[in-house]
Amino acid sequence: MNRSLIISSVLHGALIFITAMSLPFLAKKPLDIPPIVSVELIQIAEKTNIPFAPKAKKIIEKKKKKKLKEKEKKLVSEQAPPKKVKKTKTKTVVSLDEKKEKIDSKNPEAVPLPDKKVKKIHTKKENKQNPEKINEEVKQVSEFEKKELVDLDNIAKLIDKAKEDTADVIKKNNDITQDQDRNIVTSGLSLSEEDALKAQIFGCWSIPLGLPYNEDLLVRIKLMLEPDGSVVKTEILDHVRMNKPGQGFYKVLAESALRAIKLCQPLRVPTSGYERWKELQLNFDAREMLEG
Amino acid sequence: MKKNLIILFLMIIFQIKAFALIEVDITRGNLNPLPLAVSPLSIDDKSKISFEKILKKENIGSEISIIVENNLRTSGLFNPLSKDAFLQAPDIANLKPRFEDWNLIKAQALITGKVTYVNEKLRVEFRLWDILAAKEMMALAFTTVPSNWRRVGHIISDKVYERLTGEKGYFDTRIIYVAEEGPKTQRKKRLAIMDQDGANNKFLTLGNELVLTPRFNPASQMVTYLSYFKNLPRVYLLDIETGTQEVVGDFPGMTFAPRFSPDGKKIIMSFAKDGKSDIYTMDLENRLVEKITNHPSIDTSPSYSPNGKFIAFNSDRSGYQQIYIMKSDGSDVRRISFGNGIYGTPVWSPRGDLIAFTKLHKGKFYIGVMRTDGKGERLLTENYYQEAPSWSPNGRVLIFYRETKTNAKGEGFSAKLWSIDLTGYNERLVETQTDASDPSWSSLLSN
Amino acid sequence: MILSKIFKNGFLIIAACLVLTACATKKEVTTTTTDDTTTSASTSTTSTTTDAAPKISGQMQGDTYIGDDTVKYLADGVPDRVFFATNESILTTASRETLRAQAAWLRQNSNINVVVEGHADERGTREYNLALGERRANSAKDYLMTYGISSDRISVLSYGKERPVDAGSTPLAWSKNRRSVTVKAN
Repeated sequence: MNRSLIISSVLHGALIFITAMSLPFLAKKPLDIPPIVSVELIQIAEKTNIPFAPKAKKIIEKKKKKKLKEKEKKLVSEQAPPKKVKKTKTKTVVSLDEKKEKIDSKNPEAVPLPDKKVKKIHTKKENKQNPEKINEEVKQVSEFEKKELVDLDNIAKLIDKAKEDTADVIKKNNDITQDQDRNIVTSGLSLSEEDALKAQIFGCWSIPLGLPYNEDLLVRIKLMLEPDGSVVKTEILDHVRMNKPGQGFYKVLAESALRAIKLCQPLRVPTSGYERWKELQLNFDAREMLEG
Repeated sequence: MKKNLIILFLMIIFQIKAFALIEVDITRGNLNPLPLAVSPLSIDDKSKISFEKILKKENIGSEISIIVENNLRTSGLFNPLSKDAFLQAPDIANLKPRFEDWNLIKAQALITGKVTYVNEKLRVEFRLWDILAAKEMMALAFTTVPSNWRRVGHIISDKVYERLTGEKGYFDTRIIYVAEEGPKTQRKKRLAIMDQDGANNKFLTLGNELVLTPRFNPASQMVTYLSYFKNLPRVYLLDIETGTQEVVGDFPGMTFAPRFSPDGKKIIMSFAKDGKSDIYTMDLENRLVEKITNHPSIDTSPSYSPNGKFIAFNSDRSGYQQIYIMKSDGSDVRRISFGNGIYGTPVWSPRGDLIAFTKLHKGKFYIGVMRTDGKGERLLTENYYQEAPSWSPNGRVLIFYRETKTNAKGEGFSAKLWSIDLTGYNERLVETQTDASDPSWSSLLSN
Repeated sequence: MILSKIFKNGFLIIAACLVLTACATKKEVTTTTTDDTTTSASTSTTSTTTDAAPKISGQMQGDTYIGDDTVKYLADGVPDRVFFATNESILTTASRETLRAQAAWLRQNSNINVVVEGHADERGTREYNLALGERRANSAKDYLMTYGISSDRISVLSYGKERPVDAGSTPLAWSKNRRSVTVKAN
């Protein structure tokens, strides 16, 4: 009786000791991250990024490298086409579309039931460029739509051209930071600032459910912001991909991201340090959601 | 001095930092269906009266918009908003929507349009608007005979679906199935065809003999199926347009489980003799019959890959039903299903990357998909009994049938068609006039 | 002083007891739940047989039907059908006896031809069941042939799961439906 009591108490003591020893570990882990956050701003932003989107990060980096290469290539042959070329291009593409629609119209006749010939008389592709409401945003959007119709190479060139002044600087910086310690990359927002922004956009972004689950689903969008968080300008960084055959879903995804940004306006930006975040890049990656 | 230099240095560093583009990764969003508004198509009074006479529909414009709305809702990807909340009249909206108004009711996209009666034809013009970007995304016009108005609704749905999801739609399609009536022990079965939304239901056979497993050809004009005509179960071919039927091949025994090859030139099926079932093809042009498998086991439910190079089939050569893949000449047979339970009815997706199947495990039936190497199995739905998945032409949705468990007295049996998204979301009952089984989805009628 | 010591000890003992009981119950709970799940899982796998066995002990052996309430007779003492186990086409001893009786009857009535109809239960995919029904019917046909009946007199027809004799969704109903039936062809 006595012995068993002793044994039991000893064992329990051991148990308590073990729990006492192990519990702190358990308790420590979740606490681990936040304290550091407040201390060293830069590092933390980096750390929180990793668990959120390891894949996105990888993809981005790949992209960047690819871009760089492309860039180098293009720089050799880069000669901005005259504006006129762009206009004529737009027209021809439209007429092509019409043709396509007409071809389509033949098919319904080959359809089983007798009395149903759907004929698409003609296709209206309106290139909206009405100058109503000279709002910066609308302008940008219609610009973007116009580009959709333009031939691929032209787009690439035009965009590159347009981006050269600002984007180049950014690229360089990105490249530098890639080579150097990565801590500097995400120096911009503090964890809480970033989380606030993320949380806001999570709520606004309706991920199109029809997306293929096994494709690269990353859309990078560059924003120019007002101090109050409203968006002055949006730019899709992988434009070229939008018009590639078999990448129709990418356009859909990009549009959904743009809608999210519009829907979220004004963005929940930090109250101070406008200079830091007046330009912001959002990397929309639907892959985790669709895979999960 | 030194201090100043350091400060200057620091300032430079900070300057760079200020320029560094901040990146924020957005890896989550909501999977809620996209809210959109389907404004009734506007119609002028004269056209309205004409259509009322011809089609006996009070307002064909809103009828078409209802079709669009229902299609988009059943897809599970869109949430059409209630028309009561619409602030703008259909005719004005079609000219130039007030985006702020539509934004107010939280619509992210808007469909508007106009119906007119021109030269005894129905002319429909429609536009898709991006409300948040305040721009037009698409504008199309169709002209057709008035009786085709439902198809116009389906085609509009397909175009909108394609523009907003990046994938082809599946609304302008039909489903062929077996309509069932009567007691479970003496089921009367007829071939029936209907639009994807259940409209225009038609019976193709009278029900005098048992018919099973109808399948469309790629052009969706022919159907191959199993009929017990004169108590001889044989694979038949039916031309939907002309109604002509013929037996496929001249086999001295039961042929069953037919399916078309992707080019529509061959029928692949099983032929059962002396307790073994093997897979055969018959060329519809020269009537040549080719034996594809030769094994003492049961080989059945063959299904071609979309490129015609491979065949997935069901075999019990391992002892139980499992899914196998072989080259289209019958060589290189490989088993691909290795999970717990038994597997049947493999059907290759139109995209070619997945195989849908039926699985029986621990007394439950599942509809699932796996990759063509057998990996990545995902079970989409579980039930007492369900089988025979068929893909929508865009490879996004599966339709199958489900049977209920009967009570102790053997009552309460029913068979119904159901559909489910590839993601496992959006499981829906597909309404049919009678009980139904063995569905087969056509390809897009207007491509 | 002493009082406080007693209190202290008492408290310690109670604490120890609490710890002990906490451990004990916890363990018990976890073990029982795991037991539950495993047993339920294992029963569910075999439920088709075990559930039904006691209730209908007289009508099933393994999962093969041995009763006679659906059986019709081709002639006095000549049952028309034999039953099979799930997914099987092997003839049981009883089935062989039945088929021998059928063979004897067929020899006596050489003007009669028969159709052997093969059936399956509802727990399988339609196409496979068609093949399975054919296999069952052939299994019966082969046995008849070994007893001297010409294959010309026996044709085979599979109905798969299309013509159940019992509409129920129970193991017993399924066992009645897994059958081959010999019917007169003319």
